[in-house]
This record gives sequence, structure tokens and C-alpha cells, in this order.
Amino acid sequence: MSKEIKGYRQQPGKLPFAKPGSGGSEPFSKLRDLDMIPESEGGKRPQPKGKNRHDHLLTGSSVGRRTPLVDSNWKVTGQAKYGDDIRIPNELIGRILRSPHHYAKIRSIDTSEAEAIPGVLAIETGQQHTDLFGVLPVTKDEHAMAVDKVRHVGDLVACVAAEDEATALEALRKIKVDYEILKPIHNMKKSLDDVDEPIHDRGKYHIGQSNVQKRVFQEFGNFDDMKNPHASSKEKWKFAGVNHGFTEPHAVVANWEPSGRLTLYTPQQVPHYVHRSLADVLKIPMHQINVHRTFVGGGFGGKSDPFPHEMCAAILARKTGRPVRITFDRDEVFYTNRGRHPSHIEMNIHVDDNARICGIETDALIDGGAFASFGHVTTYYNGVLHTAPYEIGSFHYTGARVWTNKPASGAMRGHGAVNSRCAVELGIDDICTQLEVDPISFRLANLLPPHSSTITGFRITSIGMRECLERVREACDWEQKFRKLPLGHGIGIGCGFFISGSGLPIHWDPNKFPHATVHLKIDMDGGVTIHTGAADIGQGSDTVVAQSVSEVLGVPIEMIRVKSRDSDTSPVDLGSYSSRVTFMNANAAISAAIEIREELLKATAEICNVGKETLVIGDRRIYQKKDPAVGVSYLEALHKAQEDRGALVSSGSYRTPPMGGVHKGAAAGLAPAYSFSAYAAEVKVDPETGITKVIKVWAAHDCGRALNPLSVEGQIIGSCHMGLGQVLTEEMKYGRNGSLLNPNLLDYKIPTVHEMPEVVPIIVESNDPEGPFGAKEAGEGPLLPILPAVCNAVYDAIGIRTNELPITPDKLYKQIERKMKVLDIKSPLDLPNPTLNHSELQKALDERANEHKIRDSERKLNTEREPYYNGTLFGKISTIPPEEQDENWTLSVTPSDEYLANPRLAGSAWKHQEVRHMNKGDDA
Amino acid sequence: MKTPPFKLFQPKTIEEAISISSKFIENNEQFDWIAGGTDLLPNYKWHLNTKPNVISLALIEDLFHLDSTHIGAMVRLHDLANFADAHPIIKKAASSIASVLIRQSGTVGGNIALDTRCFWYNQAEEWRRSIEWCHKCDCDTSADCRVIANQNELCVATYQADLAPSLMVLNAQIHLCGPDGSRDMPLSEFFELDGIKRNVLKKGEIITHLTISDDADSWKGDYQKLSLRESWDFPEAGVAAAWRYSSQSSGKGLELRIATTALESIPRLHNNITNEALINKSTIDEIAAKLRLDVKPVNNTTFPPNYRKKMVEVLCKKALDGMKGELT
Repeated sequence: MSKEIKGYRQQPGKLPFAKPGSGGSEPFSKLRDLDMIPESEGGKRPQPKGKNRHDHLLTGSSVGRRTPLVDSNWKVTGQAKYGDDIRIPNELIGRILRSPHHYAKIRSIDTSEAEAIPGVLAIETGQQHTDLFGVLPVTKDEHAMAVDKVRHVGDLVACVAAEDEATALEALRKIKVDYEILKPIHNMKKSLDDVDEPIHDRGKYHIGQSNVQKRVFQEFGNFDDMKNPHASSKEKWKFAGVNHGFTEPHAVVANWEPSGRLTLYTPQQVPHYVHRSLADVLKIPMHQINVHRTFVGGGFGGKSDPFPHEMCAAILARKTGRPVRITFDRDEVFYTNRGRHPSHIEMNIHVDDNARICGIETDALIDGGAFASFGHVTTYYNGVLHTAPYEIGSFHYTGARVWTNKPASGAMRGHGAVNSRCAVELGIDDICTQLEVDPISFRLANLLPPHSSTITGFRITSIGMRECLERVREACDWEQKFRKLPLGHGIGIGCGFFISGSGLPIHWDPNKFPHATVHLKIDMDGGVTIHTGAADIGQGSDTVVAQSVSEVLGVPIEMIRVKSRDSDTSPVDLGSYSSRVTFMNANAAISAAIEIREELLKATAEICNVGKETLVIGDRRIYQKKDPAVGVSYLEALHKAQEDRGALVSSGSYRTPPMGGVHKGAAAGLAPAYSFSAYAAEVKVDPETGITKVIKVWAAHDCGRALNPLSVEGQIIGSCHMGLGQVLTEEMKYGRNGSLLNPNLLDYKIPTVHEMPEVVPIIVESNDPEGPFGAKEAGEGPLLPILPAVCNAVYDAIGIRTNELPITPDKLYKQIERKMKVLDIKSPLDLPNPTLNHSELQKALDERANEHKIRDSERKLNTEREPYYNGTLFGKISTIPPEEQDENWTLSVTPSDEYLANPRLAGSAWKHQEVRHMNKGDDA
Repeated sequence: MKTPPFKLFQPKTIEEAISISSKFIENNEQFDWIAGGTDLLPNYKWHLNTKPNVISLALIEDLFHLDSTHIGAMVRLHDLANFADAHPIIKKAASSIASVLIRQSGTVGGNIALDTRCFWYNQAEEWRRSIEWCHKCDCDTSADCRVIANQNELCVATYQADLAPSLMVLNAQIHLCGPDGSRDMPLSEFFELDGIKRNVLKKGEIITHLTISDDADSWKGDYQKLSLRESWDFPEAGVAAAWRYSSQSSGKGLELRIATTALESIPRLHNNITNEALINKSTIDEIAAKLRLDVKPVNNTTFPPNYRKKMVEVLCKKALDGMKGELT
């Protein structure tokens, strides 16, 4: 990359680039025209991927380059400070007393004996800290410690600060708690019923006397098409709960500094919500708290709630006047959980005689455990996030999230979308088997085009789904393998669709605040300091923001410094969840950098006495586009711009454009852009043992534009590993008495390197018009398709369609035995191998796919395009919303009496009335 | 999670080790032996039957000897797996144990005397308190067994070590040394059917080494293991088989031995099945089916017991695969 120190390895003090002011590493700056493909690449024609609003800002500095993460040196040299590495002089060790009961009332707590132990400095219980908090403002239901009752084994009862861990643990043993044991609920189906003592009381918003925390009903479309389908797939799914399994257990250090202010050191994905919750619980203003995000040893959604133990550390530190450190054991991580919801999902998919998906009916009952966490959103996501990438005729969704006496479920990579996506993709595979068509052809003939909207009103901008499918089909040699491999060997396809940033911020009461804000500061040294609150949790958000600024200003990434740790110095960012950081924070960074760029161009124009609009920025040089010899170095321009004011500062922010429908829940699943992906997995299944081994995965993901291909590939491969865990081995197992049987990493089976197949990452760039340089998310979406791809491959291998995850060998073997019994076969090696003889529909599908391919590329490049609403495939006028042209179109968010007469599982949550409506009923 | 404090003793000879243990017995003090520590220390971190004194065998050179007929108790599993002269069945079993890191530390003696496992037992202290303990670690509460309810007589924790069945089918002899002197016995007689007592080791007694007869090379065989993951996991079922033609010595024809592990509280040689099979000239499938009926797993490991039972049959067939056509 650099000419100056060729032959050297990078050494401390030896810069890999020339001194600023020298004109950069490329003294002869090149002519550039980024709107067109240059002559050398095949002549002047428009860029095939369409336009992006940041195209004119490209300087060739770092976007699209494989860039090692800017904080990686800290990690690989062991100098990164994670939660437990924060050591403040005079620290105390905090430990937490946890409930041994699933569900019990606390009658009394006697701490006197424990307090008498020498070395114990403070013991706190929930009685003094009764303020509620929670990640979502609408469902605050957590306390620092249990106030009146404990809701699951491992729920917090008291906390202790002591001189050392042994003393703290001894104190826990001496705390006497008198419990009145209540009847626990472990089965989520039972939580739909009315009980004497619901796990929480939501007052007038409580749903009957039941444990239903959230329920959703949605109907969109014309349901006439669905009544007589040509083919249907109906399946009842059971998904086990899974945990994130991040490497670093939760750890927190709280310190009330001499200034009288609190600093909380915590590995958090969303420091801002902890900040708010601390203010609530401690009853002090937010400006008296500094939340310091340490390095985060993996989050995946599991560190995105404000946690009770963070409150405990602050409470103990305030009481003792000394820093308090709490580090979890692995079992405590499992008790904190917030992993993926155990779910019962009923998935019915219907297609008409043209192989169009005329209806999807989903019913999802999800087990929220003892607290709300993100559950409100999860309940929506289980439905709305499978209304794309396919064009569908009608959509019916009922969802319910219930409380049970288990550790709380929450957000986990692919939040809410993973399980129902798996069910959809298997349903499609099943239908293709029935129709005797190729599942990739089927999908290609049913995709939404770019710049369209889904049945629920989500605005789709860029969509690379078609390219994903086509490239995967080619890479994996699909035609030669699908339904052609011998028994026990199979290949399968699965697709994914995910939000790239949630359209609404969680705290939307100050609605006018931006989602992300970035400050820049450049002093005379020429280095750029970025202040951002975006939490780098290992996904590389610091790197992305550094790359974005580096690209706009035309300086190497080594000249960028990212300060993102302290809430004192960082502008508010909503945190690393819903795959929002690259899209929103990089957009904010670009707008901040544009301000600086303007200053630099103005200064250059003055020095060179040329028009500002004729200038472009290259590598540390600002020069005339048409005559590169006319220009100045970056540093010269900078010093000129600083002459009157000293350091240059600027601020940029991002907010989502107005979009989406107006029905209840319309905001859930709304995003400024969506990512798409298609994976093929090749597996070997031993029919004699039921052991499944994934041997290779081809993974195509549309991330808009890979700002850093290195980390996009890392996310794809990492997602495959995580998804493989859920599909093959991982499961939070509960025993017959409701105890979590495997709260440790030996019995909770995360795949090892032996289980990890070769993954071929295929990056598809659809160039999103609004994304930073065209980018969309790559953090969560890549997880979705691996589950159905593996399940479909298992079917291809042995002809067994699973409906329960994980597919552990014992479960699969049970299905093998059942099939052998049905077919009256003696040996599993004689199982029939699925075959495919294309029906007549296949040709029609291929033709439609080809037509749509042309349609899609036209829509992509034509900036004058007309709107396209979901339903066009079914003969509706594409430019008019379907509800305005179809009399039979239903848009409903409450169930009809007809539905309630015979509801499905989660739908039965609607049989209860909310308390406030019950009272109204009495009045009437 | 913190290991409770203990006093560590590091004798340099077997005699010294025995004298330390004898002294503890005299003074009625509790102690444990530690070899590689890969089993004991995790259990200590979970406060499972911890003792105030621990005697390490790591400095006793006599225990490290390894040749084709003699395997010292302190031989690392990794070294055994990579030892050129080790019998192929033993090598296969040794290289399948846990992970490469654990094999670098874990020892042969430790693997043979591995503590039995159960998911009501191998848990953190808080967890076990929440189920009010169990028979195997009852914290003086006389708690019932959590697997087989309403009894606290028998512990059914599962013996989940890989080496024993392979050594058993090669007719290995185990050598012990304790305050009452040395003794040896066939490995198959070493184990005792109780998840707490586990084996015949008396208080203060250690395993010094195992011996394998010179003619082990004439035996062919295999070890098959069932586990969810290829690394880390304890076996959920394991079948070792060995066979040879001994016409030259006794004129009896085929000899066959089969042993299983990870299915009960002890690993077991199934001589009743193999003897009968040789007399009846059973097929491999028949032997495998009988083996399935002969084992009695309980529900305390990752896989359900009925699946493990069925898989014993499959593993047995796979283990005997090399013998196909030779059994007539």
C-alpha cells in the first residue's frame, strides 16, 4: 500500500504512510469519473448497480478495502480491557444471592449474620430499590433485586460487597431468606390460561388474569385466494431456546469518583439505555453518570438490556464509597439469558396454480421467561419479518409472548426473525417438492422487485436477493447435486431477510432526536478524532466509522482516532442492536465529514484561486478534477481552514426518513433498508445414528456494499457457526422439575471447530441508495438462512423433514424410525432417497423468473420509476396500494369474533380481555 | 466460581505419597489425589465433594513409564495417543478423549478413575442447592437420588471415560499400591457398580500402572464412540471390541471380547454375550442386538437412554465391521 517503507514490517513509530503535507503516497493524482464505467472497463455506460447519494464522496481511501479492525491490535496483544479487566484501587468484590426457587414470595430476608462477617462491607436487598426499569419504556418490569417475589431460579435476591470473593460467597451462604413457594409455570402453553398469581401484574394493561405479556394479531390481503389453494404446506414447529454463548461473561465495575459522579464500566451493546436506567434506579440525574463501555467480548444481543447486576454494582458502590466489581460465573450468564425465545410456531403456506404464494398463515407462541426484555418487539418480528422477500397474496399472523418461570428470553442475533424464517423456508421447500419444481426457480419467480413495498407496507429499496440466489446456485453446482446425491448426502437452500436498523428508536418519546450522532475534531496535527457513542462489540463499528470519515476526507485510516467509550465525551447513540450501526452511524459520520470536507474545499479554492466545485479529494491531496496538477496537500488546506478558528469541529447526525403504514404495530419491522441472503448447505446424515454433519456452506449475502469485505466475510462465517449451533446442537434444556439442566459450556453444546464446515462467503452488493456508500447490514441477516438451508439439506439427504430444532441425533433418529415403520423397512440404509422430476410448472417458473429479472434491473436503474406495491404479481395494478383497489382487501389488527370462536394456539391469547376493557364492559 | 483453598502435597516417590496418605487416614483427615487435574479441578470449582488436602502425583517419576506392555498412571493421554507402540484400539480411544488441550494434561490413571457424571450432580453449588442436593453430593442432608426417585441407596451416575473398555478387551491388568501394599487385578474387576464408590481403590491407594500382555498385538479390534460433538464431549456410549484367531495356541478358533462404557456406573466386559455368540456362531447383527439388551443406561446425560441403547447396537456393528465374513 505504501511506498515509503517498503520492506519494513510495521514497527512502533514507523508510519506506513508518508508525512501529511507531502502530497500523499500517490504524487500523481488520477482523473476520476465515478458516475460512469471507464473506457478501460468496457466503455462509458452508467454504473450497473445504480446510484448512491455518496458516490461523489468516494476518494478511494478505504471503502471496499479489506481493513483489519482498528481495535484488533489491542485484542491480539492482550491489552484490550474487557469488563473484568477494569481494576480500580481499593476495589471490593460484589456477588449476588440468587433465588433457589422457580417462583416464590419473599416473606423476609435476614442479613444480620452475613453482615457480621469481617470483610463484608455492604449487603443490599430489593426493598430499598423499588424503581422499575427495562429496555423498552412500555414494558419496564425489572428491579435491581427482587422486591416482593422471585420469578425464576437465579433471579436476584440480594447483593453483597466484600473485601474478596471468598468472603462475599461466605456472606451469601449466611443470608437467610424466608420464601413462600408459589406454583411455577414452565410450560408456555399453560401461560395462556388464567391463574391465581400471574408472574407480573401490569395493572389496567394486564391481559385477563393470564401470563400473556404481549399479543399481536395482523391480517393483510385478500383471503379469497387462500381458500382454495393449489398446494399447501402445514407444519407445527417446536424451537428450543438458545443462548448467545458469548465468550466474556457479564462483568461490571461501578465507581463513585471523587467528583461525586458515578462511572460505570460495563461491556454493553447499548450504553445509553443503561445510562437511563441507572438514573431511574439510583434517582440521580443522567448528567451525574458516565457510562464507560469497555471492550465487549461478544454480545449478539445478550448484552443489550440494562441489567440488574449493573444496578447492584452502582448501589453497592454508593453504599460503601468504594469501587465494586461484579463478574459472573457462566451459570449466572445463563440465568441472565436474554437468548432466543423457545417457540411453538404453526406455519401454513399456500400457493395457487401459478405457483404464487397466495397466503402465509403464521401462529407463534413464544416463551419470554420471567421478564419482558425486548419481547414486545420480538412478538411482532416473529410475524412481520417474513413478509419479504417474496410477493405474497395474503398474510395472517397471530403471535403471543408469555411469561414463564424461566430466565428471560430477549434479543439474539436475528432477533425474532430466525425461527419463523426457518419455518417459512421449509414450507416453501415442501411446496416445491409437492409441485415438483426446483426450489431456487420457485423463489426466483416470486421475489419482490427493487423499490417496492411489502404487504405490511415496509418500504423495500435495494434488493440483491436474485443475485444471491443465482450466485449460490452457480457456486454450489446446484443443478448437479440437488435431489441427485446418494442417500445420506444432500444439499439444501434457504433464504433470509432482515432489517438494517430499526426505523423507530426504542426511546421515541423525544421523537425529534436523531438515531445517531457523530462529532469530528481535527487539530493542527491533521489527525481526525471521531466522537461516537456507537458501541463496538467486536463487529467493527469503530472501523466502519473510521473508514467512512477516511473515505470522505481522503486520509488514510491510520490518521483517524475513534473515541467511543465514555458517555461523557460521546454523543448519544442508541446502541448496537437491530443491525443499525453501520447504516445509521456511518451515515451520521459521513454528514459530519461532509462539513469538514466543505471547509477544506473552500480553503483550497481560496489558495488556488479556482472554483470550489471543480475540486476533488484524493489521497491527502485536494486538486482540480480536470487538472490534477492544480491543488494543495490536505495539511495545507487544513491549516488554511484553521487560520481563524483553530481546530475544525463538525457534527453530523442521521434519522430515518418517514415511512410505513399507520396501523397498530406498523413501526415494528420498519427499516430504512433491508438485507437479503441465500445459503446453500451440503450435509451428510448417517441414517443409522441420525448424526448430521454439515460439510460445506455457500453463503451469499446482500450487504448493499461491503465497506470492509474482511469483516463482512467474518460476519457471514460467524453467523454460520452460530446458526449451526441452533440448528444442530444448542438448546437450553429444562428438566422435569423446570431446572435449567445445562448452564455451562460443556453441556450447552456450541459447535466446535470439528463441526464447522467450510464456508464460502459470497458478497452481493446491491448498492442501497440511502446506505452509507450503499451499505446495509451484515451482522444479523447472515444468520437466518443457515437454519433452513441445513434442514432442507437433511431432507434432500434422507427424505425427512424436521419440525423441531435442534436436530439432535436422537430426535432425527426417532423420525427415521417412524418413517421406517410407516414404510415397513428393516434397515435405515434402505430409506427412499428423494428425487425430482420437473413438472410442467417448472418451465413457467423459469420464464417468469427471467421476466422478473429484466423487470428488476430496469427498476433499479430507472430513477423515474413508478411505485410498485405487493400484489402486482396477483394481477393488481402495481402503482396503487392494494387496499385502495381491492374491495375484499382486509387490513386488521384485532381478531374477529369468527376467528375467536376457533383460535389457534397463540391466537387464543386474544380470548382474554385487557383489564381496562373488562371494567368498561362492566359499565356498559 | 472459585476453587476452595486446599493444601497441596507433592511427593516425589510412591512410598512418600503412600506415607502422606497413611498419615491422613490415621488423623482421620480428608484428602484427594490429583493427577492431571482435568476432572478434579472443575469439580472443585463447582464445590463438588471438595477436600482440604490434595496429594499430587505429578512429581513421581515412576508413574510416567510407557512402553508397549506397561502404561504408567501418569502418562498423558496425548502421549499415549501418539505412542507408536501402543495398540491401535488404545490409540483410537485415547485420541478421542475430550479435546487436544485436555489430553495434554489429563492422564491415563485419571481417565480410568474418572469420577462418574450426572446432570443432577455436575452443576454449580447454587444450582444443586436449588434442587436440594442429590445423593452423590448430599452436603450431609441424606438427599435422595434425583435420577431414580425416592431412594438414597444407589448412585446411578454414569461412568463416561473412553479408555477403560479398550484396555478391558485387551485384557489389561491394573496395578495398585496403597498403605496395605501392592496388588493387581484384571481391569474388568477394578470397577464397582456404584456411582459413589466407583472402584475397588481403598482409601490412600493409587493406581500405579496398567500392563498389557505381550500377545496383545495378535488382537485386532476397534473402539466406537457416540457423542454430540467430535471434541470436548464425554462419550454418551462407547463400544470396544477385539478379536483374534488363536488356532495356533488353543485350537479354539475365534476369540472375541466386547466392552462398553458410558452406559452405566461402570464400564463392563460382556463375556456372557461373546461366549454365547462363539458357541452359537451368531452373526454380528445378533451380537449387536444382544448387547443392546444387556446395557441399562439411565437418563442423566445429554442423550436420552433409549437412544443410547439403540446406538450401542449400531456402535457394536461398526466396531465389529472389521470382522465381517470371519464369523461363520
